[in-house]
Amino acid sequence: MEKEKDDILTIDSLEIGYVSGKHVNVLLSPLSASALKGELIALIGRNGIGKSTLLKTITGLQTSFGGEILYGGKRISDYSRMGLAQKVGYISTEIVKVINMSVYDLVALGRYPHTNWLGKIDSKNHEIIMDSIEKTGLSSLRNRFVSELSDGERQRAMIARIFAQDTSIMVMDEPTAFLDIGAKYEILHLMHTLSHDNDKTIIFSTHDLQMAISQSDKIWLIINNNLIEGAPEDLMIKGAFDHIFDDSNLQFNPEQGTFKFMSESKGDIFVSGDGFLRHWTEKAIIRAGFSVSSKKTIPYITVPSESNKKWRLSKNEADCEFVSLYELIRYLSQKESCSS
Amino acid sequence: MIMNYSSTVRFTENNPVGNWHDIVAENNTYSGKKHSLIFISLIILILSFMILDIFFGSVSIKASDVIKTLFTNTGSNLETIVLKFRLPKAITALVVGIALSLSGLQMQTVFRNPMAGPYVLGISSGASLGVAFIILGSSLKISPDNLSGIGNWILIAASWAGAGMVMLIIMFISSKVKDIMTILILGIMLSSGISAIVTIMQYFSNETMLKAYVIWTMGSLGNLTTSQLNVLLICVSFGMILSLASVKMLNALLIGENYASSIGLNIRFARVVIFACTSILAGSVTAFCGPIGFIGIAVPHIVRILFKTSDHKILIPGTILVGGAVMLASDIISQLPGYESVLPVNAVTSLIGIPVVIWVILHKRKYSEMF
Repeated sequence: MEKEKDDILTIDSLEIGYVSGKHVNVLLSPLSASALKGELIALIGRNGIGKSTLLKTITGLQTSFGGEILYGGKRISDYSRMGLAQKVGYISTEIVKVINMSVYDLVALGRYPHTNWLGKIDSKNHEIIMDSIEKTGLSSLRNRFVSELSDGERQRAMIARIFAQDTSIMVMDEPTAFLDIGAKYEILHLMHTLSHDNDKTIIFSTHDLQMAISQSDKIWLIINNNLIEGAPEDLMIKGAFDHIFDDSNLQFNPEQGTFKFMSESKGDIFVSGDGFLRHWTEKAIIRAGFSVSSKKTIPYITVPSESNKKWRLSKNEADCEFVSLYELIRYLSQKESCSS
Repeated sequence: MIMNYSSTVRFTENNPVGNWHDIVAENNTYSGKKHSLIFISLIILILSFMILDIFFGSVSIKASDVIKTLFTNTGSNLETIVLKFRLPKAITALVVGIALSLSGLQMQTVFRNPMAGPYVLGISSGASLGVAFIILGSSLKISPDNLSGIGNWILIAASWAGAGMVMLIIMFISSKVKDIMTILILGIMLSSGISAIVTIMQYFSNETMLKAYVIWTMGSLGNLTTSQLNVLLICVSFGMILSLASVKMLNALLIGENYASSIGLNIRFARVVIFACTSILAGSVTAFCGPIGFIGIAVPHIVRILFKTSDHKILIPGTILVGGAVMLASDIISQLPGYESVLPVNAVTSLIGIPVVIWVILHKRKYSEMF
């Protein structure tokens, strides 16, 4: 069957945890999940729930306490360290700090499981290294020291390294955690390209649920001591995200795929108007703690139009006009009085 | 430090693809050429230091006479001085410099600590404890200068055991504590603890033993018998081969044990090999020449500054050459004050090494970021 061939990682009733002293602390109930060829999989769960432990266990850096991890149908324990390194590459949250190491040298380390005992870089290996550097857009930075790169560039170099490692699976622990927004989307785009154009299976953990929902093919969600897997939309329909932060006041909006803080509404306001202006006006009043009413109630806000360039708040007693949403919100928050 | 990557020639697809050396040369023409140039200069430097070291000594001999004795059989006193004393001493200096520097480089990489070195972390102290057990503790009446045959190997094995013991302790601690300075302080504490034990042993030993031990602690390159030099040569050659064979493992360890493991390194195996290699290198030297400080920690930094690379394919040969050259220079300097007296070589190596160590401490932020 075609599916059998594509099924490159299966975890079955896997028990993860760590040893402290003589005690074995098993973190979650037995976990089962699978990853297919070319899938971009986001691992989501609360802080400290065991995402890093799961990723390390999959990579073979930590031992499991029960269950199976199968690579292409073969158990992880049947692989040598070298054999496993040809199957799965790993990027942790640890930042590589080495004096005098060039980007080329770092990427070349990815060839470790493919070179001889002296680590000789022959022409074939060299081509693969150069290809990885080019693919990650680092050609011009090839001879720069890793310590001189920006966070985003360094992360790209780390990805070039596991691309050079030529594994079918890449495991990344919070690859976008310390990046600014531009670099974050650059890295995400790169991961997307690698999985969809180069058939790499990428499993990455993240805290950014919105990003995970909009970008990944599949989500592994750790919740209530368990792992649920599925397409982001399937999980959404099942309501799997509703309780991800069940202790806090965070509320998930299944239609928008966003979170917002639950707080008691200060009242209903209707927004009269169309399109763009209405959309942002509604956002602003929600931010101020009000709810948007779906039918025309009092008070209501009329957004600026051709005839009136101001926002008008209509109440029972009188109307008020504001030149900006900023002023409108100041008024609604009772920090400023009505100017008209 | 101004980096020269801007002048590197870009690799293009038009470049003919030949063997590995061609590709590295084309990929990195500038640094490749620069590295060869530094290597050639270092070899010339070592040869000149060798010759200078043979020319200098407590007896003034004309240069022409030295050359004559080296290549002809005169059978004179000069021959005894040059061939039996000065030449072995120069070879010892070379071998000691290589061994201590290599051991320092490997320790710095495996601990990811720029302040690691056999002397600073107490490995040499551990070796001296082993030696003290043999000289002071045994009833064999062994002293380093009357040993031969099996006795040499007993002394060296005790030294390895002592070095290995401290190495194990440091390895254990550094797996728990990551802070560079904390490990450095622990190394100093270990050294002090070991000296205390040795002092107690000295208190209970007789005068001859004590004298033999005190002379040994001063560190000397010139007191080795031929058989001792042979043993030292065998051990250091073995250590050098082991280091060259560890190039790939050392490069992987640069990025930390988790990443090294994820690219296929068997961490336990790597630790055992490097652990054995550093203990043999530092232990052998300490057994015959006494504790010699600051070469192991300082030389790898000089090599990094010279070659500006993290690749052990370059760093290891570089360390061998710079280590040999620095130790030969120390030996030459120790003979400078005049023809009557010779400075203890340990004092010279400290004066050369300590400024480098201080420089590294002052650049701690930069260094601890990069390790």
